[in-house]
Amino acid sequence: MVVKAIDTLGRKVNENIEYTVRVFMMVYYAIRATIYDQSQGLRTVFRVVSSQIYFTGWQAMPLISVLALATGSIVILQSSAQLSLLGGTSMIGNLLVVIIVREVGPLLTALVVIARSGTAVASEIGNMRANREIEALEAMGINPLSFIVFPRILGGVISVICLAYYYIVIALFGGYLFTRLLQDMPLQFYSDSLIAALAAEDIFLFLIKTGFGGMIIFVVSCYQGLLVNRSPHEVPQATTRAVVNSIIYVTVFNLATTALFYLNQLVNMGVL
Amino acid sequence: MNCLIKSIEFCDVSFGFENSDLVLERSSLAFPLGETISLRGDRGSGRSTLLQLLAGLQLPTMGQIKMNEINVSDLSFEEFLPYRLKIGYTFDLGGLISNRTIMDNLLLPLEYHNACSAKEARDRVDYYIDKFTLHKAKDVRPANVPGGVRKLTCLIRSLLMEPEVLLLDDLTVGLSKPQVDLFCDCMDDLRKAKKTHTVIFSSYDESFIRQIETSSIFFEGGQIYLHPVNREAVGL
Repeated sequence: MVVKAIDTLGRKVNENIEYTVRVFMMVYYAIRATIYDQSQGLRTVFRVVSSQIYFTGWQAMPLISVLALATGSIVILQSSAQLSLLGGTSMIGNLLVVIIVREVGPLLTALVVIARSGTAVASEIGNMRANREIEALEAMGINPLSFIVFPRILGGVISVICLAYYYIVIALFGGYLFTRLLQDMPLQFYSDSLIAALAAEDIFLFLIKTGFGGMIIFVVSCYQGLLVNRSPHEVPQATTRAVVNSIIYVTVFNLATTALFYLNQLVNMGVL
Repeated sequence: MNCLIKSIEFCDVSFGFENSDLVLERSSLAFPLGETISLRGDRGSGRSTLLQLLAGLQLPTMGQIKMNEINVSDLSFEEFLPYRLKIGYTFDLGGLISNRTIMDNLLLPLEYHNACSAKEARDRVDYYIDKFTLHKAKDVRPANVPGGVRKLTCLIRSLLMEPEVLLLDDLTVGLSKPQVDLFCDCMDDLRKAKKTHTVIFSSYDESFIRQIETSSIFFEGGQIYLHPVNREAVGL
């Protein structure tokens, strides 16, 4: 029984390592192909990158606005109420930076992008495989990794960073405006508290989480799309796997980054 | 004729798809260049696979595919690119980029590889659009045009780069006889202009194969055999 469990666990670990290696290999080949592709001008890359930013970033803004306003208002309302009970209202900036900037912003944005664009990219590339468009590109001497994959990853990363930044701005300031309807909190006090709390390491953590998070989403989605093997019935399965794997990888990555960040802080403080 | 592809050879080539029997089994053949070659065999005998191997879309499970004595199966995408640009390939079905119009699909290889100036590319595409009267379809995406137009677009796209070797899978499927004849005229024009020297095609249309009198490659038990055209019999 125990041996079987260990055996299953070992197989799962092996599968995951193999999957990760394959995904990294695809990223390597995509970057290599883009560098070595003499024919593909910057204009071609820019055209695909800009349309990816339009679909992933621009078109997601209404949804992100609603989510940011709602979650920002909830967090500000709850935290200001609890902090005033404890007499620590001045800590609101620190709390918001930790919750919104470091954690919820990157994670929620990533989840929205997975739901909207990860699925779209996986099904688009999956359908291209099923319709033999990928083979057609190869036959024309166009490398699908530089023509299809790389611009989508680049556009996706830029979109996720911008969307997460937009989310934070709306959550912090839209949420504040909403809170003002229910609670009295001077703008000067609120903004001073936020500015005092925001440090360079928060921006660093934000960029790491959004940059790599965006990359994970689009790399996994492209990879799953390319795994489709000529049959359209595989496309929904590939899309589902892209969503599931992206969510797992992004949340685990965010957790690991946060854990490492706090470990580093404890080491710096001399606790560890 | 100053051409890049001077020889094509299969050396003990085996190929099989995942979890299935081998389609080709240690097959060796020197392809006669400068001819029109038809691939003859039953469904599933490996005709499309052979064309895909020649186009570099599949890699042999074993053996070597040599072009100019170089094993091209070992080459990277970039290393094989000069050969690929001299090979025109069409699918039996599908192969058009679905989010581009018929016109953009035709322009894609020319623009991507800067094969000629933008004006010349458009002129070249317009020539074929006029010839095959595709005016109504040119600004429409592939999903909204009949299958015959899609097939024609694929065939035309393979001619646009003026390849030395043309690989045509199920050439006549979905096309009317006048369209096939027109396409053959276009191939002949490229031949006369010393651009294309070899055409390898598959077709079930026996009357068409007889009409253009070709050498044949037969498929049997995973092996391929060349049956050269009887030049005297056809008065060549």
